This record gives sequence, structure tokens and C-alpha cells, in this order.
Amino acid sequence: MLKFILKRLGASLGILLAASFLLYILVINSGDPLADLRESIADNRDYLMAQRSDFMNLDQPWFERYWTWLVGVGGCFALKCDLGTNINGIEVNGMLAAAAGSTMRLVVLATVLAAIFGIAIGVLSAIRQYSGLDYGVTFLTFLFFSLPVFWAAVMLKEYMAIGYNDWIKDPSFTTVQIVVVALLFGFLMQVFLAGNLRRRLITFAVSAAFVGVVIPYLLWLNFFRYPQLGPAAIVVLSLAVALSATAMSVGVRTKKVLYPALITVALGLGVYYATFSMLKTPTTLVLVIGAILAVVIPGAIGYFMGGRLRKVAMSVSAVTGFAFAGLTVVDHIFRAWPGFLGLKPRPIGTIGSQTPNFGGDFWEVFLDRGAQLLLPTILLAVISLASYSRYTRSSMLEVGQQDYIRTARSKGLNERTVIFRHAFRNALIPIATIAAFDFAGLIGGAVITETVFGWKGMGEMFKVGLTAVDPAPVMAFFLVTGTAAVVFNMLADIFYALLDPRIRV
Amino acid sequence: MRGKRISKAVAVGAALALALTACAPGGGDAPSESAKTSESSSGTNSVEPANSGLADLGDIKTQDAEIKVSVGAPEFIGYNSNTPQTYSTYNSAITDRVLSGFSYFGTDGAIYPNDDLVAYEKVSDDPLTIKYTIKPEAKWSDGTPITVADAVLSWATQNANLKNAKGKQLFDSVSADLGDTVPKGPEGDADGKEFTVTFKDPDPDWQIQSWMGLPAHVVAKQGGMSTTELVDAIRANDAKKVTKAAEFWNTGWTTKPGALPDADLIPSSGPYKLKSWSAGQSVTLEANENYYGTPAATKTLTFRFIDDGAMVQALQNKDLNVIAPQPTVDTLSQLEALGDAVNIQKGDTLTWEHLDFNFRDKAAFKDSLELRQAFAMCVPRQEIVDNLIKPLNPEAKVLNAREVFPFQENYAAVVDASYDGRYDNVDIEGAKKIVDEQNAKGTKVRIGYSAPNPRRTDEVAMIKSSCDQAGFEVVDAGDPKFFAPGGTQERGDYDVALFAWAGSGQITSGQNIYATGKPQNYGEFSNKEVDAAWTTLASSLDPAVHLEQTKKIEKLLWDDLFGIPLFAHPGLSASTSDILNVRHTATQSQIVWNAEQWVRAE
Repeated sequence: MLKFILKRLGASLGILLAASFLLYILVINSGDPLADLRESIADNRDYLMAQRSDFMNLDQPWFERYWTWLVGVGGCFALKCDLGTNINGIEVNGMLAAAAGSTMRLVVLATVLAAIFGIAIGVLSAIRQYSGLDYGVTFLTFLFFSLPVFWAAVMLKEYMAIGYNDWIKDPSFTTVQIVVVALLFGFLMQVFLAGNLRRRLITFAVSAAFVGVVIPYLLWLNFFRYPQLGPAAIVVLSLAVALSATAMSVGVRTKKVLYPALITVALGLGVYYATFSMLKTPTTLVLVIGAILAVVIPGAIGYFMGGRLRKVAMSVSAVTGFAFAGLTVVDHIFRAWPGFLGLKPRPIGTIGSQTPNFGGDFWEVFLDRGAQLLLPTILLAVISLASYSRYTRSSMLEVGQQDYIRTARSKGLNERTVIFRHAFRNALIPIATIAAFDFAGLIGGAVITETVFGWKGMGEMFKVGLTAVDPAPVMAFFLVTGTAAVVFNMLADIFYALLDPRIRV
Repeated sequence: MRGKRISKAVAVGAALALALTACAPGGGDAPSESAKTSESSSGTNSVEPANSGLADLGDIKTQDAEIKVSVGAPEFIGYNSNTPQTYSTYNSAITDRVLSGFSYFGTDGAIYPNDDLVAYEKVSDDPLTIKYTIKPEAKWSDGTPITVADAVLSWATQNANLKNAKGKQLFDSVSADLGDTVPKGPEGDADGKEFTVTFKDPDPDWQIQSWMGLPAHVVAKQGGMSTTELVDAIRANDAKKVTKAAEFWNTGWTTKPGALPDADLIPSSGPYKLKSWSAGQSVTLEANENYYGTPAATKTLTFRFIDDGAMVQALQNKDLNVIAPQPTVDTLSQLEALGDAVNIQKGDTLTWEHLDFNFRDKAAFKDSLELRQAFAMCVPRQEIVDNLIKPLNPEAKVLNAREVFPFQENYAAVVDASYDGRYDNVDIEGAKKIVDEQNAKGTKVRIGYSAPNPRRTDEVAMIKSSCDQAGFEVVDAGDPKFFAPGGTQERGDYDVALFAWAGSGQITSGQNIYATGKPQNYGEFSNKEVDAAWTTLASSLDPAVHLEQTKKIEKLLWDDLFGIPLFAHPGLSASTSDILNVRHTATQSQIVWNAEQWVRAE
């Protein structure tokens, strides 16, 4: 294995070197770095051109320029990277750090969401192959996949930012809107829950009626400006989670699993009050530690009370604990919302990763960043849904044909165990490759998304550098994305070997 | 039917949770929509300006509010906009608010003195001597008085005679000529407020020479000496002593994105000071509480770096209050669709489009004034303006001069004296007659321009459809490398060049274009009378002489047909209607030229 990795690394370095050479030559020949000065009427124009030629070493032959760059980058091996300066005299090291940070914030969440939802949709449409749901989902994912980004971004801004901001000033729904939303929701619910005609009708009626009642009720509460959850609602929802998790794993009658989950809820209520003032203005560290404890402590309870069902009890309690913690956070965010609206009357911005000079407390800043992240994340996630869902679907279908699935079914395992324990796990193996590639690609940034939403990330750095025929930032971009592509490619291979015992390297 | 039980449990839970979310409707009523701020009937300004300069706002207090503006996507570079690397209109849009100069351009390109900071007068014509008196109350935001030392530093940075060990100019500055044109620099006590400068040769553009830039006390401190020592070293031309200070001036203010230098390194001499910078996002300026003149009207001014395509929606969503997108018909129609919510500023700019004949080598028009006239007769100038420019600026006119613009007061006088209107209307028949007489039917006319540029492609298409009727054979020779080294323009493989000059407000800059052998005289046009007129103009300080010579030059350029002026480029900007005093300017200072006067309607 080690030999394999070393061999791969060596080959990768060679590829990177050759590619960097090629790219450098292409970049410096891609245009005229003095173009913007040539039409200038200023009397110091020639002087400016001479200055820039000198600064960018335009008078040197190409191999000398490349060599200068390569020597600077070679310093990376001695932990002293020098990626050069851009056309404005700014060090690319600093630019790269800022751009990479921005891109990471933009793409990580979108990639994770796209993977989770894409895989879920893929599994669902594979299980219900050739159903209305399957066709509908296929149609929609392909529709999203083929959306032009700049157009979709404009639409999102128009309705989800400007439209929403206008609406939130004085939230209201007309009766027609409520009826349409209720019918649509009912329709979607019956599509997802399926069943025979009678069951579908009941699902439709119940969910439509539910929405029809809930919306006016929430409006009456002024919920959209003053959302509230409160401890009682958190407890009820957590109990629902505890019961559902128990029911789905071993059934609610199994006390060894149910009781730790119920104790977790009770404990959670105590913690809710104990941490209330701390969570009003928390720090990121507090939240991370809290999240870990919310999983570990219920896990421990499950471990000690679970007996022979220890494993199941642990996971059910952990899930319950995490849900309770999550709901507590939501509760605090709800409490911060009115104050946030006061600071930022138009909550969803169309540009930028944050509101400049936004002076709120932790949750208000969190909401601000979240609101700025919302639209680009939706856009990026929705567009990459298609590849995940389609690959998962075909992978699930293929695995479903395997002998071991038939064996599992014939030995009497229930359908859920067959799908999740036997089929899904094996279907995930090829998905790992796609996820690795996808992530490597995303580090390169999303040029158009960054431009239309006013984020200055990797894609923007590449674009601006190339437009100015400025090799340093373009090469820095290449170093990061090229290395990421090579490394993730290799990681995917290694994962493959680890996940699939049939593969040996 | 376990599934059914779960859904029941979830449904009951959801309903219960909902009922419990609140025991009473949410805390308090939503703030009722405040009555729309009634806009003062006087329009978009709080005080109507008396001329093209800044309006006199009188005794105002800084309003505690924030105005957000974007002039484009490029990121802020640094505090010092005067090095070749940092010299950009986007960077100056920010630093000009922080670092005041002695003069500024009004909306029509006229030069106004900065009365807050200085008073100056010409004390002698020969040699040209100017006396500057810095206002006694003028000081940097850190409390240091603004003195002659700052002017001496500004001069030193533009002095090519101060050289480093390698023989290159010590200060890496965009300008290099003041050391020769004003050999002695600003003369006066370094700590004082009064100085004189004496020009070696008459300089009609003396008013816009830059005598005030970056803080000398900061540069001196970073150079490890006192301000007086720095001034003495500069005056003694002691390059070695100044080296450390110069190195700081060159690169010391360039930091990594998002990190402003320490506050004591970046004091302000203008109405705003730099407050914060968020990499890739925004730069925030805050009113300079130590400002000695009329304070900024609004406390916080935030610059955001936004692509043109995203500006209109950002304006609509009030993420931005003032935008300056590239003027396109699409952008304008989007803005117009927003109705009363925005004010749109339209107008000409000092950038103007023209067709220049090539007088080199084997170019078609080289030796034939008649053919040039025939070509000028068939170019549909009015049609080009009507179809391509009027949609953006309804008041656009065909440009009939090169050195003055329709929005400037001298325009009518110059045009009346130099041009009789003979090319106002397309005259295909007349052109055809000349072409036939010259036996030049089928002459190939390659119109070169820097492609891709859809508007210029359209212009060439219009010229082709008109001039081909007169017997020319117009060829669209647009090329991405038109201006590049070894490109079409340098090789001379064109007959007519179509491009624009970006005017800088200087009086003498045209000499570089129209006089024989000058670097920007691409087509190698040569006319002795034109050369002589420019020499007279450049050596005179009398505006009357300038006007006289400009008329003469324009007439010669029309008669000998150097080229054909087409139109001034349209400018476009927009502001939300609650912001007052946003005024269009034709100059490169862009819409932010009077940003310190912007204020929210109350």
C-alpha cells in the first residue's frame, strides 16, 4: 500500500510540474498585460507601461519568468512559499488565503447538502423505480442541472431575496395563496408517502388541512417576525424523535432502548434551563463542545442502560440528545430573530458574504452570515443534486440485482434492513469516488456564482488574474486546484481499497 | 403498521408543538410601515449647486447613517494610489475621499481649487510662479498639521532625479516629471504653511499638478528620521538618506487583502478616514472627526466590490445605495423598471469615440484628402448616435470637436469657428462623385478596433452599409490584438482606426496625439501648422490664447481631416431615491466625486 501511495505521489508531482509549465506559458501568452494602458490619453502613459513591464518582468524571456515563479514555489518544500505578487503589487500568498477561505465557506455546505439530499433522493427514486415520484424527481434534477447559473441566480435574488424582504416587512398570505400552498403540500406528501389510493387520499386530506390551518395560525401569532419555540415545544418534538427512533429500530415496547431516550429528554430539559443564559451569547467553542456532549452523554446513558441492546440504545439516545440540542439552538435563533430584523430590516442580501459593519451579538451575526450564504448555497446545491441522485439511483439499482440481496430477502430480513444494511452500503462505494472528485472541483470555486453574488473566492481570483494576463494569481489557483484534484483522486483510490474488500492494491 | 403509528405520533407532536410555541401572539406588533419619506420637491439635491463644482452645503452636521456604494468589482488595493501597481480609478475612488488634493474636477471637467485646504494664486507668468497658502486649521486626522513638508514629499515622489543605487527613480511613482519642470520643488519653511513653486517652462496644466498627497510625517518616521530631516534630505537630493523612507512609500502601505495598515500609518487629510476592510467584500470609511473643512454629510460610507451584473438587484434590495455600472441598454432598462425607487444619473463622459485615418505606409487615405472627405461624407454619424448612444443618453449629440465636449462652455465657440457642418448629413452622392473622380471605386477601407466590442462592431456595420454605396469597400478589421505589441495598429495594417480616448482634463494632452512624431499620434499625421499651434498653446498660460489656438487646431484638423469625431461615451449611475446630492460627472473621478456630500433625505 505504501509503495502504491508513493508511486502515485511521484507521478502526481510530475504531472503537476508539467501542467504548471504548460499553464504558465498559456497564461502569459493569453493577452496583452498592458492593454488597459494603450488607449490612455495620459501623458505619462509610456512611463506607466515601462513601469509595469519592469514590475512584471515582461522584458524577460518566458523561461526566465517561469523559472522565477518555480523557484518561489519551490520554497514551499522549505515551508517558505513565495507565490509572487500580482499586478497590483499584492502578495499572492495573502490573496490565496483570503480567496480560499471565502470559497470554502461558500462551497463546503453546498457540497455536503447536495451529497446528502442527492443520495437520499437517489435511494428513494431507486426504491420506487418507474413510479411517478421517480419520473418527477428525475425531471426536476435534470431541470436544475441544466439551469444557467447566472439566470437562476437572478431569479433567486428576485424572489427569495427581494420578494422575501418585501414580504417579511408585513407578512401576509391571501386566501388563494393559502389554498394553493395547502393543496400543493398535500399533493407532495401523498407522492412521498405513497400507498394505496385510500391511504393517498387520507394523506393528502390530512396534510392539506394541516397546512391550511397552520398558516393562518402562524400569521396570527406573527410567527414570521416573532418566531417562538419554547421548552414545551422542544420537549414534545424531542419526545417524538425519541419515540420514532425507538419505533424504527426495535419498537417502542423495548424498554431498554426507550427509557434511555426518555431520560435523555428529561436531562435535556434540565440542561436547557441551565445553559439558557450562556447560550444567549455563546461562542463557537461553546456550541461545538455542547454538540459533542449532547451526543456523548446520551450515548453513555444508552451504554449503561441498554444491556444486550446497548448498541441500539446508544444510537437512539444520541440521536435524541442531538435533536434536543439542535432544537435548543433553533429556539435561541428564534429568540434572536426579532432583534436581527431590527438590525437588518431586509434580512436576505443579494451580494456579499456578510453585511459590512454588522454589529450584532453572536446569534445575530450567525443569522447575517447564514442569510448571506442562503442563496448561493441553494443554487450550488440544487445544481449538483442531479449527479449525486442519478449515480446513487443507478448504483442502488445495480446492487439490487445482486445475488446477496436476493439471499438477504429470502432469509426473511425485512425490506428496510435489506435496503439500508445490504444494498445501500455497497451502493455507496462508487459514490465515494464522485464525492472526492466533486469536492476537488469545488475548491476551484464557482466562478459565476462568486461573481453574481459578490464573493471574492478562488474562481474570482483566477478570472481576474487571467483577464489581466497576470500569471501569479492564476498559477496560485492552479497549485491549489491541481493539487486538490490529484490528492483527492488518490484518496478516492485508497478509500476504494478500504471500502471494497474485492479490490487489492 | 408501525409506519402509521409513527406518522400519527409525528402529526400529534407537531400539532402540540405548534400550539405550545406561543401562549400569546408574538411580542408586540410589527413596526408599521413608516410613511414614505417625502422627497423634497427640489429634486435630488439638498442644495442646488451653483456651478459644476461642489455645492455649498453650508453649516452641516454629519448624519449618523450609512451609505453603501459600488463602482465595480475590483478589490481595494491600498492607501497609496500613486504607484504604477496601485494606480487605478477603482482604488482612487476610495483613497480620494481620504487624501485631499489642492484642486478637483467639476462635473464638466472644469478645475476648482479645494478651498477647504488651500488658497493659491499665480504670482508671476515668467517664470511661472505659484504661491500656495495651506489653511492654518488644516491638519491630518492624527492632529499633525498639514505643512509644506507634505508638498515637498509629493514633489520628491515625482522627481526622477532622485535615483536609487540602480539608477532608477527612487520613489516608484506614476509621475516622473516634476523634478525637471519644477527643479527646486516647493520653496518654503518645512513646518510652515506657505510655499511657492517655480516652473522652468510655462505649464498650462499647472493647476492640476499634484502638490499634496501622502503624509510626510508618517513617511519620515518610517524612514527613521524627523520630518525636517526628510525635507532637508530631499532638497539636498540625498538619495541614500531618503532610500528607507522611499521604500516605505513604495510598498509599505500595500498589505494583504483585508488587513489595513496600523491606524497611525494611514491618517486622513480628507473628509473621510479608512475604518475597516473586509477582504473581497468591502471597505468602510468613517467621517474624519478632525476634518478642518465642511464635514462629511454622512458618517459611514461603505464601498463594496460588486460585479456590474449584480448591481441593479443589489440596489433594488437596498444592499447598495449608489451604483455605477457599465452603461448598457439592458442595465438602463432594468433601472428604469424600478420607477420612483431610484434616481438615474445619465450624461456624457470625457471619453470620446473617433475614427482616425492612417497616414502610414500604403494606407488607403494616406495621400488623398479628397478620399478622406468622401469617407467623412458617407459616415452616418447621426445614425450611429441615434441608434447606439441615444438609448443610453437621450441628450447625446454628434461630437464635432476633439478638444472640447458639448457639455463644456467653449464648445459652441470652438465648433462655430472650426467646422461648418459639412459632414452633418450623409451625402452618398457627393462621396460617390469624389470616389469616381479619384478613380478609387472599390477602395478597401479596413476599419480596425480592439475586438470584441459589440458597439464598435455595430458602428462598423453602419459605416459599411452607408459607405459601400459610395464606392468604398469597408472591411471590419476588428481584432483582439489591435493595440497589442505587433498587433494591427503597430504594424499599420489598417486604414481607419476606431477607438476612444479617455480625456484627463489636461489642456495640453492633445499635443501627444496631433503633433508630428508624438507617441500617441498612431497614424503618423503631420501638419506643420498644427504643430506650431500646439507649441503656442503649450507655452502660454492665458486661457484666451488656449481658446484661440484650440479653434485653430480644430479647424486645421477638420480641413486636413485627421479623423472624424463621433460621440462622447455615455455614463450611467443610479442611486436609491432617499439619497440626495448624487450628481453625474463626466470626469474619471466617477460618481463618488462628491461622496462626502451624499446624505439621506430626512
